[in-house]
This record gives sequence, structure tokens and C-alpha cells, in this order.
Amino acid sequence: MSASVDLADFLPAYLAEAEELLGTGHRQLLAMEVSLRRGVAHPRAVRELFRAVHTLKGLSAMVDVEPIVDIAHWMETCLRNADRAGGRLPQASVEPLMEGLREIEQRVRQLAAGKSAAPVPAGLLARLEALEVAGAAGGGGVATGGAAALALEEALASRLSPAEREQLTTGVTGARRAVRLDFIPGADRAASGTTINTVRERVASLGETVKVLPLSGPTVGGGSLTFVLLVLTEASDAELQEAAGGPPASVRPLVVPATAEAPAPGLEAPGVLEEEEPEESRRSGGTLRVEVSRLDEALERLAALVVNRSRLSRAVAALTAAGAPTRELNAILQENARQLRDMRTAILRLRMVRVGDVLERLPLLVRGLRRSTGKAVRLALDVGDEELDKAVADRLLPALVHLVRNAVDHALELPEARRALGKPDEGVVRVATHGRAGGLLDLTVSDDGRGVDAQAVAARARVPMPATPDALLELLCRPGFSTRDAANATSGRGMGMDIVRRIIVEQLGGELALETRPGAGTTFRLRVPLTITLLDALVFECAGLRYAVAVGSVEELIEVDAARLARPAGAGGLCLLERRGSAVPLVSLARLLGLAPGAAQDAMGAKALLVRQRGELVAFGVDRLVGQQEIVLRPLEDPLVRVPGVVGATDLGDGQPTLVLDLAALGLARGGKPSRREASAKAERYLS
Amino acid sequence: MTVLHVVFKVAGAEYVLPAADVLQMESFTGATPVPGAAPHVAGLVQVRGRVIPVVDARARFGLPPVERSLDSRVVVAQLGARVVGLLVDSAREVLKLDPQQLKPPPSLVVEGAHGFVKAVAQVGPRLVMLIDFPRVIGEETLDGDGQR
Repeated sequence: MSASVDLADFLPAYLAEAEELLGTGHRQLLAMEVSLRRGVAHPRAVRELFRAVHTLKGLSAMVDVEPIVDIAHWMETCLRNADRAGGRLPQASVEPLMEGLREIEQRVRQLAAGKSAAPVPAGLLARLEALEVAGAAGGGGVATGGAAALALEEALASRLSPAEREQLTTGVTGARRAVRLDFIPGADRAASGTTINTVRERVASLGETVKVLPLSGPTVGGGSLTFVLLVLTEASDAELQEAAGGPPASVRPLVVPATAEAPAPGLEAPGVLEEEEPEESRRSGGTLRVEVSRLDEALERLAALVVNRSRLSRAVAALTAAGAPTRELNAILQENARQLRDMRTAILRLRMVRVGDVLERLPLLVRGLRRSTGKAVRLALDVGDEELDKAVADRLLPALVHLVRNAVDHALELPEARRALGKPDEGVVRVATHGRAGGLLDLTVSDDGRGVDAQAVAARARVPMPATPDALLELLCRPGFSTRDAANATSGRGMGMDIVRRIIVEQLGGELALETRPGAGTTFRLRVPLTITLLDALVFECAGLRYAVAVGSVEELIEVDAARLARPAGAGGLCLLERRGSAVPLVSLARLLGLAPGAAQDAMGAKALLVRQRGELVAFGVDRLVGQQEIVLRPLEDPLVRVPGVVGATDLGDGQPTLVLDLAALGLARGGKPSRREASAKAERYLS
Repeated sequence: MTVLHVVFKVAGAEYVLPAADVLQMESFTGATPVPGAAPHVAGLVQVRGRVIPVVDARARFGLPPVERSLDSRVVVAQLGARVVGLLVDSAREVLKLDPQQLKPPPSLVVEGAHGFVKAVAQVGPRLVMLIDFPRVIGEETLDGDGQR
């Protein structure tokens, strides 16, 4: 019992962490595969993958998910051997490892969906275990004798693993050199922002850091600590020295041509520090993982502040009207408004994620498609450093997945066909961002495949040939439209373009356009807003129309018992209902909205939403509750429809705008009085 | 040099708008009413993912309402950054007009049309009226009622 409670508490954090580790795992495995195909080892990728799997195993053991622990364990064993063997891994092992990650991912999903993880599929462990044996057998055979070629004093060299030594000696190609950069930390350097962490970051942008070794002993300038960074880089000595804050940092070559006799000058190997710098400092990099719900909570608190501010400004206005000297108060209020705006921007920025991070899954998708379709395809990601709100990113990704899948599945030709057309065997699917303007981000998904055959599309849809690209897109986006007769495993029957359009156009309020040239390829242009406002909403029906309100604004939902309503004389049709010993006014929302001007007064609705209006409870009678759901709020900007009590509109999936109401504001703006429509109707009657 | 115009009908009369201002024409399947909006605002419709207000031309011109039919159209027009729809009885024609053909409206028309007609043109036997779109959708933001 207590165990399951603990698990439930820990699960969200576990799922988030597992997802991230799987992402790292996939990335490293793909990098490894690319290297293997070129016949080179990629020790760094192997190690990173090993770490990810190792951590996954530990975390999964903590939440007691045995199948994941099992899979991770055998992957880990195989990878450890590969790591010891200088990152060498037989090509054949990539697929079982990929399968392992996939199976783990599937189980993480099951846990996220509240199910328990399925048992390990038959044969997988055996396949992974077989790798382990092969790895162990091959491990001893790999030459590890690179140390002799390293111009490094023994005290340091002994702290390198064989894999790292090999990485340094074999990593030297063309302009790429292996060097050691000695950085001496000090108070003066820290003051100017140069610490081992910043040096690490800067050096990382110049090349590949194989190892960082702390070295104790007297230094230039009277210190007692030196960091030796062993780096593979194409950067010049001067650049590296600059990255370490200039002298006394020094750069020396590490791998010396066999003929040159050059023992490392300088540093007499002093005593070596026992502990390597903790791994954590490298990983954290100043980022923090936060649950989105906490950010939303902060936004809600901010909203409360905004409401409070408007009360304050009303109070000040009243003081001003009464002749009080409020000049300074007003100045403070103005400043306060600006601060609140800045604060809002700052909180919204916290929710932004880099587009590049969102697209991280696409290479894996394309890899899978390459195998399942037999097509040669390369994914080109041409993505800048633009950022999107998390909520937009989460919705955008499935649309991009659809488009990329369609491109590979339907647009790209098989290699032979491409060759016959004079195209390179390998097709290219390109996902690119094109900067942001006016709160919108432009993206394209393009391919160099066969293009959309407008004639065939028209024939299939049994309509005349579309005259414009827009009209063609319209046809492709018809629900259930497909250019294929048979469903297939990757894209299914429909092309899913209706889903893409639903997401981009209807949910996000963005734009979708198509350019296609027969034989040359197709480009989809997407334009999406950088942010959207999500709202947890209650949806209800009133006088035959649906409306939504923010869940947070409703204190309570109650059934209305018409027999127990009190109708005080002279209250103008207002009813009272009893709620926990006090009388709460009940307003018919239909009447308030002017939807049922002639309705009988006891048509109060079957349900009521209790809302606090200037601190007092008011019940709004509605006909029927539809449910609770998350909606995308579209603000109404046109002055024609900017009215008090209406926050915006949303699409509940029927293609019709549904109004999102602020009941308290609506009640205040229109409370008691007949609606404008009624008033004008009355006025017309008088006039005629 | 002629300019393409979109022709639409309201209560039997023919009106035109420069085609350059018209984004598209949509059939009308009902609008979501907005409580508290001006009486000539029919409500909101969603056009290609965009939520836009629709002005009922009949209500705006002070004409009696009619049952909407399959012919009813929303003429979606761009006005600066705003996109607004105009609900009309039908719209199924475009017309090339020479700017020379457009004449100031007779004073009687000006009065009767609340200043919504900017010019008139004789096209063969027909008389078409160029409407002042900004005025029709209401240049002024909202009257006093909406300002509270």
C-alpha cells in the first residue's frame, strides 16, 4: 500500500527523467550508427548511451519496473564492454540496442498511461545477451597501446581509460589535433567570469573534450590547482588559450609524430588529485527541470495580482474623484502595471522550448521509415534557435511527424526510380525554420520527391482539376482522403492531412500552404503562433448553444431544485437559492445573454455554476453540463466583438467558434438589466 | 484600366466591393452570437481556422431580416489588420469596372443608405453601388454601451 503511494508520488518525475534519457539514448545510438557505417568508433556516443541506460536502470529499479530494469541491464552490459573496447561495437548490435530502447520507451508510455509495464518480449534479452558475449570476446583483441604516442606524463596518462587514449590517438585527422590545455583557476579569473565551467563550455564549442583532469601542485601565480583539458580540436592554440582566459593558460600538442622527439615540457608531474570533478557539474549546465503545472500555477498567481491591481486602480480613481492628491499614487500604479507586464513576459518565457529540441525525435522516425520503406532518405534539419511555447510545441510535433512520414512514404521514389529520373539515389526531406515575425514562426517541410499529382488527386476525389495550390491542399485535407488504395503500416490509409490541418489551422490558429512541382518535390509551409493560451474549461449548454468558462473561476457546480427557489418580491425576476445556510442569487444565464428574452421566469436551468462576483457568490443557471476539457483560447481582437464578459473563443471540434465567458464580468456588465438586444428591440417597438 | 469587383445582393439591390479587398467568400452555416455586441453583428464564424466577426448587411442597412438560404454568403474582407465578414443574400459574380464609371451617388441614395454607399455605376441596364466597407462594419469602435 505505502509502496504504491510512494510510486505514484515519484512517477511524474520518473516519467520526465526517463523520457529525457530515452531521447539522449536515441540520439547517441544514431550518432554511433553513423560512425559505424563509416567504420569509425564513436567512444563518446557509446559512453553517453551507456550512462543513459545505466541511469534508466537505476531509476526504474527505484520505481520497481522490472521489465525495464531487465532490458536496461543487458543493454548496459553490452555497452560497458563496448566502452572498454574503445567504443567499438559490431554493426549488428545497433539493431538489438535500438529495439531495446524502443521496448523501454513503450513501457514508459504504458506507465504514463496508468498501466503496468508489459513483460519483456520473447527473445530480446537473448539477443542482447548474445551481443554481450560477442562484445566480451572481441574486447580483449582491441589494441589499447596508444599511450606511448601521447605526450603526457605518466601520472596523467594513467588516469585515462584505454578508450580515452585511443580516442585521443585516433581522433587526429586532417586539421584536427589532439592538444592539452592547462587552465589555472584563480580569484581574479573567477571575477572576470572565467571558471572551469565557463572554460569547459567555451572549449566544447571549439572541439571535443575527451577528458578534464584536475592536477594539484604549485602553479604560476601561486595557486595550487591546474585543470588539464584533453581536447580534439581544429581551433588554433591562440583560440584555445583565449577560451581559457589567456595566459597563464597554455596549450601543448598531445599526439606527437613518431619521429619528433618531444617530451612534454613544463609541469613536473605533481601529486594527482584523488577525485575527479563530480560528473554533475558537467551535466547540469545551469538548467532546471520544472513541471509545466508549476509554471501555470505561477501564471495563475500573477493573474490574481492583475485582478488586485485593477481593484487598486479603481480605488485610486475614486480617491482622485474625491479630490485627494493622488499624483504619486498614480505614478506608482503605472510603474506597477509595467512591472506586471514584464513579469508576465518572464513567466511566459519560462515555458518556451527550442524548436530544435522539439524536432529531436524526427531523425529516429526517418531511420525507422528508411528500414520499413526501403527508400534511401536523408533528413536535413535546418533549424535556428527559435523558441515556441511548450503547448504549441506539443501540438506541432504530431503534425510535423505526419508531414515527414507522408514525404518519405508517398512523395519519395524508390532508389531505382530516382536514378532513372536522374536524381540522386538518396532522397532528402528537409525540415527548416525561417525565423519569426509578429509572434508567428514559419516552418517548411519539403521533399525532392515526385510532387503531388493534382490530376490523380482530382480523379480520386471525383472533382474537377483544382486550379490553385490552395484548392489542391483543400482536396488533400478532406477527411479520410487518401492517394493510396491499400492502407500500409506507416501511413495507414488516409494521408492524415486532415489531421495536420486540424492541428495547424484549427487548434493553433496558424496557416498551412502547399507548393508542389511535378517530378521536383513538394513543400508544405506552416505558420504557427509562438504561444497559445490554454485553459482548463467547463463546457456547458445554455439555450441550445455551448459555452466554456475557466474551471478555476467556478467555485461549485450544483443542481437546481426549482421547487426550493425563493422569489423575493420586487427583485425583478431574480431568484434566491439556499446554499449552506445562506441565500445565493440565481441568475438565468440565458436571460443574461439575451438568448431567451421572453422565457418564463422559472426557466432557470437545471444546473448552476457558482461564481464569486466582487466577493459575493452568484449562481448562474445553465441547461446542461457537457464536460471539462482543455481548450485553446483565442482572444477576440476585433472591436466589433470585444465585449465585457467574453474572454475569447475556442473550437470544440465542430468548426464553430464557442464563446469562452467570464461569468463574473458578464454578470457585472449586464447584471439585472435587460441585454442590449432586448433594449434595442424594445426601442424599435417604441419607434414604430 | 479596369478594376475587378465582387458583386453581391442585399434585398434585391446590387452592391460591389473591390476584389482586392475580398479574401474569400464562404457559404453561411450560422454564426455564434456574441452577447453585448452591436445589433448588426451576426456573430462569429471560423474561416480557415480564423475566428472573425460577421456583420449582417440587412441589419446594418436597416432592412427586415430574412431566412438564410443556400445562397447566403459571407464576403470575407480585409480592412487594414482586421478581417471581417459581411453576410449578404447572395454573391456569385465578379465585374470589371472602369473607375470612370463610378459616379457620386445621388443625394437621395446617400440619405437612404446612411452613407454606406460611396459611389454608383451604371453597367448596361444595371445599377451597382460601391459600398463604403469601413463604414459598414463600423469604423467607430463601439458606442457608449460597450465602454463600461
